[in-house]
Amino acid sequence: MENTINSAWIKKLFEKSSDITIRPIKINQNNITAHLFCVDGLVNQELFDEAVLKSIKFDSYLADCRTERETIDYLLEGGAYDAFTTEVSDYQKLLKNVLSGMAALIFDAEKKAVVYDLRKFEKRSIQEPTEENVMKGSKESFIEVLRMNTALIRRRLRSEYLVIEQLYAGRLSKTDIALVYLSNIANANTVNKIRSIIKSIDIDNVSTPAFIEEYLVENKLSIFPQIMYTQRPDRVSANLSDGRIALVVDGIPFVYILPCQLPMLMQSPDDYANHFLVGSSLRVIRYISMILTLFLPAFYIAATTYQNQMLPVQLALSTQAAKQNVPFSSAVEVLGLLISFEILIEAGLRLPQAVGTAMSILGGLVVGQSAVAANLISPAVVVIVALAGISGFIMPNQDLSSGIRLTRFVMALLASFAGFFGLAAGLILLVTHLCSLDNYGTAYMSPFVDVEERNIKDTVFRFPVKYFIKRPEDVAGQNSIKQGTGRADR
Amino acid sequence: MKRLFIAALCLLQLSLCACSNDMNRRELDEINLIHIMGIDYSDGMYVLTAVFSSGQGADPEKNPSGSEDVSEGKGATPFEAFQDLKLKNKKTVSIANTGYFLIGETAAAEGIETCLDFLSRDETVKMESLIFITQGVNASYFISEGMKNGKMIHEDLEAVEQKLHELVTRIDNTLVNILNEMEDDLSGLLIPYLKTGEDSFNIGGYAVFDGLSLADYLDIDTSAGINIIKNIMRTYPIYLKKGVSLSVSSLKSRMKTELEEGLVWVDIHVDFESMVREVNTDEDIFRVEEQNTLTRLQNAYIEDILKKAVDYSKDTGRDILNIGRIIRNRYAKEWSGIRDEWKDMVPDIQYELHVRSRIAKSFILGNRR
Repeated sequence: MENTINSAWIKKLFEKSSDITIRPIKINQNNITAHLFCVDGLVNQELFDEAVLKSIKFDSYLADCRTERETIDYLLEGGAYDAFTTEVSDYQKLLKNVLSGMAALIFDAEKKAVVYDLRKFEKRSIQEPTEENVMKGSKESFIEVLRMNTALIRRRLRSEYLVIEQLYAGRLSKTDIALVYLSNIANANTVNKIRSIIKSIDIDNVSTPAFIEEYLVENKLSIFPQIMYTQRPDRVSANLSDGRIALVVDGIPFVYILPCQLPMLMQSPDDYANHFLVGSSLRVIRYISMILTLFLPAFYIAATTYQNQMLPVQLALSTQAAKQNVPFSSAVEVLGLLISFEILIEAGLRLPQAVGTAMSILGGLVVGQSAVAANLISPAVVVIVALAGISGFIMPNQDLSSGIRLTRFVMALLASFAGFFGLAAGLILLVTHLCSLDNYGTAYMSPFVDVEERNIKDTVFRFPVKYFIKRPEDVAGQNSIKQGTGRADR
Repeated sequence: MKRLFIAALCLLQLSLCACSNDMNRRELDEINLIHIMGIDYSDGMYVLTAVFSSGQGADPEKNPSGSEDVSEGKGATPFEAFQDLKLKNKKTVSIANTGYFLIGETAAAEGIETCLDFLSRDETVKMESLIFITQGVNASYFISEGMKNGKMIHEDLEAVEQKLHELVTRIDNTLVNILNEMEDDLSGLLIPYLKTGEDSFNIGGYAVFDGLSLADYLDIDTSAGINIIKNIMRTYPIYLKKGVSLSVSSLKSRMKTELEEGLVWVDIHVDFESMVREVNTDEDIFRVEEQNTLTRLQNAYIEDILKKAVDYSKDTGRDILNIGRIIRNRYAKEWSGIRDEWKDMVPDIQYELHVRSRIAKSFILGNRR
């Protein structure tokens, strides 16, 4: 009886679960009885009454059905007042559907079930994105419900080529994952590869985004994000039309985009909402900030400890004056303050918002100023670490920001061991590592490392839209022309 | 692969640690950064005078302007004197941030190559630091006098550098330039000299070297003539007797050198524009005739300055315009024949001066008083 659709077996299986409803419903006077199988709280009660109970009670044709087969056929042919009614004969599929919120009528003699999609669960309304807000542009962001998120994407790409494949992962959680791509543009090999990876995920529970991410990234040791996430449906649609692939995971209020390259992580929706010169300036500032946050603390350590001749005379003198009476070496000062900065950030995240703000003021201003006044740290180091810290938060992608913050420590350590030689060694290692990353057949540093220059038009500088004629070649497999030249008669 | 990766990381770590042991690790506040160094020669000994700022501490409000300390070292050679200077100081002494080297008159007369040799071999020295000669006095006296008058020496020297930038388009008295010039035995080495004024240091003109020893000082006009011929003059005031003052705003010069039958001919062409700066006359300078007169007068003024430079070269036989270098490069074959007599040929060089000018952007306010 196991692994076949049978109400008695299912009832026994869930006998200790109070939220599972399994009860017989008499369909008609011809001794046809089905068993209702659903999860209380996940089913829309009103829809259930309308689609299931009302049809059973008042449908005269159903009253005349003599066999279970006849009843099932009638329900599937329009007897059920629900457009999303299907017949299920696979026991596992039935369990998955019901446990995800559908309602089923089990016909024991036929060993089949008619499944009604009557899901309803409490969800957030669509709100403004918290991380990627823009002045000009859409204010919609993804929520935790997969179907809602796919609908947001579909609304922006009304193409017949938009494919939303349903997959799932997690032996226990059976989390729904939608693989979204444009079949006429996306690279079929990449789609197949991602599909097979998702199918191969063999874990109990997809409880956090990291569980999915770690399976999807190709170089798991790298701290640089190789998968982009976004809260914005418009950003997903733009990347889909470039040939990339999106993954919508039920329960996660953002969407993953693959393959991902470093320049993508430096782009912000604001770049496209503004004039191209303004957008380019913002990007240049972001790249400068990345360099500052990575190398400024290390540069300070190297310049004040090893190669002080690198500093201009006046800067050397003022830095020297600021360091007088401070008992610690530059390396200890910088690394200590960097660690304190991270502690402050971490504490700010964990505490309630009101307390967090007060603690930031206390930690940042009061303790900082007192430490300078007590000659524990020099004012120059406070400026350096604060500038590096703030620059780190300019990154549009928080995963990238975290990666860079960690790399900053490595650079500072290398500089404290060997000055500018250490810094140079760190830079070489960093560039080598970034260039060695491969992401579903595309270089992570693409298009900086590409032979062709066409994709460079949307990297450090954001060219006017009319120049975005072609899609990234290594991302889009089949269809490389993105738009016309924009020179039509006006 | 993993083992290899870990081994590579360990190797990197070890090499970095090894580097840090061999890289003269020193905190910035443990170093006395010399920002001016005087080099003198007296009583058969070289004397180095180092000026460095005494720290302001973490609270600059206590001593907002900072102050300067002086330290001296003596030795038979400049390097020995530098070692003496290091020994006398409590902290490590560094010339990595030294922006100015002042060479006393006696040390310059003794030979500039001795003064600068130890600097050229120091890997930390700033090659763009400026070198000046202190006219008539030792550098240490120059520094001590300046400090007695309550001056911040390095600020005054920064002001001198600014003035130089205003006068010329290229500063040639950097350490790297002078070291290069010293390598060429044909170059007429010229280094600006400083004079002490009551409240500040002033740029005099060029100190002329015979070989590598100080020989003479040029006045401001002769030095300006050299700058014009070298095409590095940015601006220069012209005071005409008619009560009109102008300033050179755009100047181009080119030198054409020819060697014919053992005689060197040099054509110097100078084209410049000037702007009227002051009109203290009732004459109407709007008139074409008057403009032509002013142009003639300013041409003659500049020509006089050029003549001073040229005449000095002819009178003293010192090739301050580096004509020899041009001849050597242009007439390589003939040069081998005249190389040894070049010093005797310098007074016989025939110069022709051609000055053309235009008064531009003038008369905006007219000359009505």
